[in-house]
Amino acid sequence: MSAANESVTQFERNARAALEESVRRIDARTRSRLNQARHAALAAAPRRAGWRRFTLMPAAGAVAAALLVAVVLWQHAPQRTAPAALDAPRAAVVEDMDLLTDNDSIDLMEGWDGPFYEWAAAQSDPGGESRG
Amino acid sequence: MPAALHGDVDLTDPEEQTRSRALNQFLAGVELKAFKIAQAALRHEDDALDAVQDAMLQLARAYSKRPPEEWKPLFYRILENRIRDMQRRRTVRGRVMAWLPLRHGEEDDEDFDPVAHAPSQDPQPVRQLELEEAVGALEEALQRLPRRQQQAFLLRTLEGLDVAQTALAMGCSEGSVKTHYFRAVQTLRAQLGELS
Repeated sequence: MSAANESVTQFERNARAALEESVRRIDARTRSRLNQARHAALAAAPRRAGWRRFTLMPAAGAVAAALLVAVVLWQHAPQRTAPAALDAPRAAVVEDMDLLTDNDSIDLMEGWDGPFYEWAAAQSDPGGESRG
Repeated sequence: MPAALHGDVDLTDPEEQTRSRALNQFLAGVELKAFKIAQAALRHEDDALDAVQDAMLQLARAYSKRPPEEWKPLFYRILENRIRDMQRRRTVRGRVMAWLPLRHGEEDDEDFDPVAHAPSQDPQPVRQLELEEAVGALEEALQRLPRRQQQAFLLRTLEGLDVAQTALAMGCSEGSVKTHYFRAVQTLRAQLGELS
Protein backbone atom coordinates (compact mmCIF):
# COMPACT_ATOMS: atom_id res chain seq x y z
CA MET A 1 0.00 0.00 0.00
CA SER A 2 1.37 3.42 -0.97
CA ALA A 3 1.97 6.24 1.47
CA ALA A 4 -0.78 8.26 -0.19
CA ASN A 5 -3.31 5.46 0.29
CA GLU A 6 -2.21 4.97 3.90
CA SER A 7 -2.66 8.69 4.46
CA VAL A 8 -6.18 8.58 3.03
CA THR A 9 -6.99 5.66 5.30
CA GLN A 10 -5.79 7.61 8.33
CA PHE A 11 -7.88 10.57 7.26
CA GLU A 12 -10.93 8.35 6.85
CA ARG A 13 -10.36 6.90 10.29
CA ASN A 14 -10.16 10.34 11.86
CA ALA A 15 -13.13 11.56 9.87
CA ARG A 16 -15.17 8.58 10.99
CA ALA A 17 -14.25 9.24 14.63
CA ALA A 18 -15.30 12.88 14.27
CA LEU A 19 -18.57 11.96 12.57
CA GLU A 20 -19.37 9.35 15.19
CA GLU A 21 -18.72 11.94 17.86
CA SER A 22 -21.14 14.30 16.13
CA VAL A 23 -23.73 11.51 16.21
CA ARG A 24 -23.12 10.95 19.92
CA ARG A 25 -23.67 14.64 20.52
CA ILE A 26 -27.16 14.64 19.09
CA ASP A 27 -29.34 16.18 21.77
CA ALA A 28 -32.08 14.45 23.77
CA ARG A 29 -34.94 16.28 22.05
CA THR A 30 -33.84 15.12 18.62
CA ARG A 31 -33.30 11.57 19.86
CA SER A 32 -36.78 11.57 21.34
CA ARG A 33 -38.32 12.78 18.08
CA LEU A 34 -36.44 10.15 16.11
CA ASN A 35 -37.64 7.52 18.56
CA GLN A 36 -41.23 8.64 18.07
CA ALA A 37 -40.78 8.63 14.30
CA ARG A 38 -39.45 5.08 14.46
CA HIS A 39 -42.43 3.83 16.43
CA ALA A 40 -44.80 5.59 14.05
CA ALA A 41 -43.08 3.83 11.16
CA LEU A 42 -43.30 0.46 12.90
CA ALA A 43 -46.99 0.98 13.53
CA ALA A 44 -47.48 1.79 9.84
CA ALA A 45 -45.77 -1.37 8.62
CA PRO A 46 -48.20 -3.77 6.95
CA ARG A 47 -49.13 -6.74 9.14
CA ARG A 48 -49.80 -10.24 8.01
CA ALA A 49 -52.39 -10.33 10.80
CA GLY A 50 -54.53 -8.07 8.63
CA TRP A 51 -54.55 -10.65 5.87
CA ARG A 52 -55.25 -13.36 8.38
CA ARG A 53 -58.24 -11.46 9.67
CA PHE A 54 -59.44 -11.04 6.12
CA THR A 55 -59.05 -14.72 5.27
CA LEU A 56 -60.83 -15.76 8.47
CA MET A 57 -63.90 -13.65 7.68
CA PRO A 58 -65.76 -16.35 5.68
CA ALA A 59 -65.17 -18.88 8.42
CA ALA A 60 -66.38 -16.45 11.06
CA GLY A 61 -69.45 -15.70 8.95
CA ALA A 62 -70.23 -19.40 8.61
CA VAL A 63 -69.97 -19.90 12.35
CA ALA A 64 -72.25 -16.92 12.98
CA ALA A 65 -74.82 -18.27 10.48
CA ALA A 66 -74.73 -21.70 12.10
CA LEU A 67 -75.30 -20.14 15.50
CA LEU A 68 -78.25 -18.15 14.16
CA VAL A 69 -79.85 -21.27 12.69
CA ALA A 70 -79.32 -23.13 15.96
CA VAL A 71 -81.01 -20.36 17.93
CA VAL A 72 -83.97 -20.23 15.55
CA LEU A 73 -84.45 -24.01 15.69
CA TRP A 74 -84.21 -23.99 19.46
CA GLN A 75 -86.86 -21.29 19.70
CA HIS A 76 -89.31 -23.28 17.53
CA ALA A 77 -88.61 -26.72 18.97
CA PRO A 78 -91.60 -28.49 20.82
CA GLN A 79 -91.50 -27.98 24.57
CA ARG A 80 -90.69 -31.09 26.61
CA THR A 81 -91.99 -29.59 29.86
CA ALA A 82 -95.39 -27.93 29.90
CA PRO A 83 -96.00 -24.64 31.62
CA ALA A 84 -97.52 -24.91 35.12
CA ALA A 85 -100.92 -23.46 34.07
CA LEU A 86 -101.47 -26.40 31.76
CA ASP A 87 -100.83 -29.10 34.37
CA ALA A 88 -104.38 -29.31 35.91
CA PRO A 89 -106.42 -29.83 32.71
CA ARG A 90 -103.84 -32.32 31.52
CA ALA A 91 -104.20 -34.26 34.84
CA ALA A 92 -108.00 -34.39 34.43
CA VAL A 93 -107.64 -35.76 30.93
CA VAL A 94 -105.32 -38.42 32.28
CA GLU A 95 -107.92 -39.44 34.93
CA ASP A 96 -110.64 -39.72 32.27
CA MET A 97 -108.33 -41.89 30.25
CA ASP A 98 -107.92 -44.17 33.31
CA LEU A 99 -111.67 -44.54 33.70
CA LEU A 100 -112.14 -45.26 30.02
CA THR A 101 -109.44 -47.89 29.98
CA ASP A 102 -110.57 -49.57 33.24
CA ASN A 103 -112.39 -52.77 32.08
CA ASP A 104 -113.81 -53.57 35.50
CA SER A 105 -115.57 -50.25 35.82
CA ILE A 106 -117.09 -50.62 32.36
CA ASP A 107 -118.36 -54.14 33.20
CA LEU A 108 -119.86 -52.83 36.40
CA MET A 109 -121.69 -50.10 34.55
CA GLU A 110 -122.91 -52.45 31.85
CA GLY A 111 -124.21 -55.06 34.39
CA TRP A 112 -125.95 -52.56 36.61
CA ASP A 113 -128.88 -54.26 38.38
CA GLY A 114 -130.58 -51.55 40.38
CA PRO A 115 -133.35 -53.54 42.14
CA PHE A 116 -130.91 -56.23 43.22
CA TYR A 117 -128.54 -53.75 44.84
CA GLU A 118 -131.44 -52.01 46.57
CA TRP A 119 -132.70 -55.36 47.96
CA ALA A 120 -129.20 -56.35 49.07
CA ALA A 121 -128.81 -53.05 50.87
CA ALA A 122 -132.13 -53.53 52.63
CA GLN A 123 -131.10 -57.02 53.76
CA SER A 124 -127.94 -55.74 55.35
CA ASP A 125 -129.71 -52.84 57.02
CA PRO A 126 -131.60 -54.05 60.21
CA GLY A 127 -133.82 -50.98 60.37
CA GLY A 128 -134.67 -51.12 56.69
CA GLU A 129 -137.46 -52.34 54.46
CA SER A 130 -137.96 -55.66 56.45
CA ARG A 131 -139.12 -53.71 59.44
CA GLY A 132 -141.44 -51.67 57.28
CA MET B 1 -38.40 -2.18 22.73
CA PRO B 2 -40.15 -5.49 22.39
CA ALA B 3 -42.28 -6.10 19.37
CA ALA B 4 -45.26 -6.80 21.58
CA LEU B 5 -45.64 -3.07 22.16
CA HIS B 6 -45.78 -2.12 18.49
CA GLY B 7 -49.33 -1.32 17.51
CA ASP B 8 -51.45 -4.29 16.60
CA VAL B 9 -48.74 -6.84 15.97
CA ASP B 10 -50.08 -10.34 15.93
CA LEU B 11 -48.45 -11.64 19.10
CA THR B 12 -49.25 -15.20 18.19
CA ASP B 13 -47.21 -15.04 14.98
CA PRO B 14 -43.52 -15.58 15.75
CA GLU B 15 -42.47 -14.66 12.22
CA GLU B 16 -44.29 -11.34 12.47
CA GLN B 17 -42.73 -10.67 15.84
CA THR B 18 -39.26 -11.42 14.53
CA ARG B 19 -39.70 -9.14 11.53
CA SER B 20 -41.07 -6.29 13.62
CA ARG B 21 -38.21 -6.64 16.07
CA ALA B 22 -35.66 -6.70 13.24
CA LEU B 23 -37.18 -3.59 11.66
CA ASN B 24 -37.14 -1.80 15.00
CA GLN B 25 -33.52 -2.75 15.51
CA PHE B 26 -32.57 -1.65 12.01
CA LEU B 27 -34.29 1.73 12.30
CA ALA B 28 -32.82 2.32 15.74
CA GLY B 29 -29.38 1.58 14.29
CA VAL B 30 -29.62 4.02 11.37
CA GLU B 31 -31.81 6.85 12.66
CA LEU B 32 -29.05 8.97 14.23
CA LYS B 33 -26.63 8.63 11.33
CA ALA B 34 -29.45 9.23 8.87
CA PHE B 35 -30.33 12.38 10.75
CA LYS B 36 -26.75 13.64 10.51
CA ILE B 37 -26.65 12.89 6.79
CA ALA B 38 -29.97 14.67 6.22
CA GLN B 39 -28.86 17.58 8.39
CA ALA B 40 -25.64 17.96 6.41
CA ALA B 41 -27.65 18.08 3.19
CA LEU B 42 -30.55 20.24 4.33
CA ARG B 43 -28.76 22.36 6.96
CA HIS B 44 -31.94 22.50 8.97
CA GLU B 45 -32.75 20.31 11.95
CA ASP B 46 -36.53 20.08 11.58
CA ASP B 47 -36.30 19.44 7.84
CA ALA B 48 -33.75 16.71 8.53
CA LEU B 49 -36.07 15.12 11.10
CA ASP B 50 -38.96 15.24 8.65
CA ALA B 51 -36.85 13.65 5.93
CA VAL B 52 -35.73 10.81 8.21
CA GLN B 53 -39.27 10.25 9.47
CA ASP B 54 -40.63 10.08 5.93
CA ALA B 55 -37.90 7.65 4.92
CA MET B 56 -38.67 5.44 7.92
CA LEU B 57 -42.38 5.43 7.13
CA GLN B 58 -41.86 4.62 3.49
CA LEU B 59 -39.42 1.83 4.23
CA ALA B 60 -41.78 0.31 6.80
CA ARG B 61 -44.82 0.58 4.54
CA ALA B 62 -43.34 -0.49 1.23
CA TYR B 63 -40.23 -2.53 1.91
CA SER B 64 -40.52 -4.11 5.36
CA LYS B 65 -41.28 -7.46 3.75
CA ARG B 66 -38.04 -7.35 1.79
CA PRO B 67 -35.01 -9.20 3.19
CA PRO B 68 -33.43 -7.19 6.03
CA GLU B 69 -30.05 -7.10 4.29
CA GLU B 70 -31.66 -4.93 1.58
CA TRP B 71 -33.08 -2.43 4.03
CA LYS B 72 -30.03 -0.21 4.47
CA PRO B 73 -29.39 0.76 0.81
CA LEU B 74 -33.16 1.03 0.25
CA PHE B 75 -33.55 3.28 3.27
CA TYR B 76 -30.78 5.61 2.16
CA ARG B 77 -32.14 5.66 -1.36
CA ILE B 78 -35.51 6.75 0.00
CA LEU B 79 -33.86 9.31 2.26
CA GLU B 80 -31.86 10.71 -0.63
CA ASN B 81 -35.00 11.08 -2.74
CA ARG B 82 -36.73 12.80 0.14
CA ILE B 83 -33.80 15.18 0.66
CA ARG B 84 -33.79 16.01 -3.05
CA ASP B 85 -37.53 16.73 -2.98
CA MET B 86 -37.13 19.02 0.01
CA GLN B 87 -34.24 20.85 -1.60
CA ARG B 88 -36.31 21.40 -4.75
CA ARG B 89 -39.23 22.70 -2.73
CA ARG B 90 -36.90 24.93 -0.79
CA THR B 91 -35.49 26.34 -4.01
CA VAL B 92 -38.98 27.14 -5.27
CA ARG B 93 -39.97 28.59 -1.91
CA GLY B 94 -36.78 30.69 -1.89
CA ARG B 95 -37.66 32.15 -5.28
CA VAL B 96 -41.15 33.03 -4.08
CA MET B 97 -39.94 34.45 -0.77
CA ALA B 98 -37.38 36.61 -2.57
CA TRP B 99 -40.32 38.72 -3.74
CA LEU B 100 -41.62 39.20 -0.21
CA PRO B 101 -40.23 41.57 2.45
CA LEU B 102 -37.83 39.86 4.89
CA ARG B 103 -39.06 39.23 8.44
CA HIS B 104 -36.20 38.84 10.86
CA GLY B 105 -36.11 35.96 13.29
CA GLU B 106 -39.24 34.23 12.04
CA GLU B 107 -37.60 30.81 12.13
CA ASP B 108 -35.91 31.29 15.49
CA ASP B 109 -38.87 32.35 17.56
CA GLU B 110 -38.98 29.17 19.65
CA ASP B 111 -37.58 29.39 23.17
CA PHE B 112 -34.23 27.70 23.46
CA ASP B 113 -34.28 24.85 25.97
CA PRO B 114 -30.74 24.28 27.32
CA VAL B 115 -31.70 20.97 28.96
CA ALA B 116 -33.22 19.55 25.82
CA HIS B 117 -30.24 20.66 23.75
CA ALA B 118 -27.65 19.41 26.18
CA PRO B 119 -25.18 16.83 24.78
CA SER B 120 -26.18 13.31 25.70
CA GLN B 121 -22.62 12.17 26.56
CA ASP B 122 -19.86 13.68 28.63
CA PRO B 123 -16.46 12.50 27.30
CA GLN B 124 -13.15 13.45 28.84
CA PRO B 125 -12.47 17.21 28.51
CA VAL B 126 -9.26 17.26 26.42
CA ARG B 127 -10.38 14.64 23.93
CA GLN B 128 -13.78 16.25 23.95
CA LEU B 129 -12.31 19.58 22.93
CA GLU B 130 -10.27 18.02 20.12
CA LEU B 131 -13.27 16.13 18.88
CA GLU B 132 -15.46 19.19 19.05
CA GLU B 133 -12.99 21.11 16.91
CA ALA B 134 -12.70 18.25 14.44
CA VAL B 135 -16.46 17.80 14.30
CA GLY B 136 -17.09 21.48 13.75
CA ALA B 137 -14.43 21.77 11.04
CA LEU B 138 -15.56 18.60 9.29
CA GLU B 139 -19.23 19.58 9.35
CA GLU B 140 -18.45 22.95 7.87
CA ALA B 141 -16.24 21.45 5.18
CA LEU B 142 -18.88 18.81 4.41
CA GLN B 143 -21.50 21.46 3.83
CA ARG B 144 -19.29 23.09 1.23
CA LEU B 145 -18.94 19.86 -0.75
CA PRO B 146 -21.03 19.22 -3.85
CA ARG B 147 -24.10 17.23 -2.88
CA ARG B 148 -23.07 13.95 -4.56
CA GLN B 149 -19.60 14.05 -3.04
CA GLN B 150 -21.05 14.80 0.38
CA GLN B 151 -23.49 11.93 0.03
CA ALA B 152 -20.87 9.43 -1.10
CA PHE B 153 -18.52 10.44 1.68
CA LEU B 154 -21.12 10.22 4.46
CA LEU B 155 -22.60 6.93 3.28
CA ARG B 156 -19.18 5.34 2.99
CA THR B 157 -17.52 6.88 6.05
CA LEU B 158 -20.28 7.41 8.57
CA GLU B 159 -22.74 4.68 7.63
CA GLY B 160 -20.09 2.24 6.46
CA LEU B 161 -21.82 1.18 3.25
CA ASP B 162 -19.62 -0.56 0.71
CA VAL B 163 -19.30 0.71 -2.85
CA ALA B 164 -22.12 -1.46 -4.21
CA GLN B 165 -24.53 -0.47 -1.44
CA THR B 166 -23.61 3.18 -1.83
CA ALA B 167 -24.23 2.95 -5.58
CA LEU B 168 -27.67 1.46 -4.89
CA ALA B 169 -28.46 4.16 -2.33
CA MET B 170 -27.29 6.95 -4.63
CA GLY B 171 -28.84 5.50 -7.75
CA CYS B 172 -25.63 5.58 -9.75
CA SER B 173 -22.85 3.27 -10.88
CA GLU B 174 -20.11 1.99 -8.62
CA GLY B 175 -17.61 3.89 -10.72
CA SER B 176 -19.44 7.13 -10.01
CA VAL B 177 -19.43 6.37 -6.31
CA LYS B 178 -15.67 5.85 -6.35
CA THR B 179 -15.18 9.09 -8.23
CA HIS B 180 -17.41 11.14 -5.92
CA TYR B 181 -15.85 9.61 -2.85
CA PHE B 182 -12.29 10.15 -4.03
CA ARG B 183 -12.95 13.78 -4.87
CA ALA B 184 -14.64 14.33 -1.51
CA VAL B 185 -11.70 12.89 0.38
CA GLN B 186 -9.23 14.96 -1.64
CA THR B 187 -11.17 18.16 -1.02
CA LEU B 188 -11.64 17.52 2.69
CA ARG B 189 -8.02 16.59 3.19
CA ALA B 190 -6.93 19.74 1.41
CA GLN B 191 -9.06 21.82 3.76
CA LEU B 192 -8.67 19.92 7.04
CA GLY B 193 -5.36 18.08 6.87
CA GLU B 194 -5.51 14.69 8.55
CA LEU B 195 -8.04 15.73 11.22
CA SER B 196 -5.75 14.33 13.90
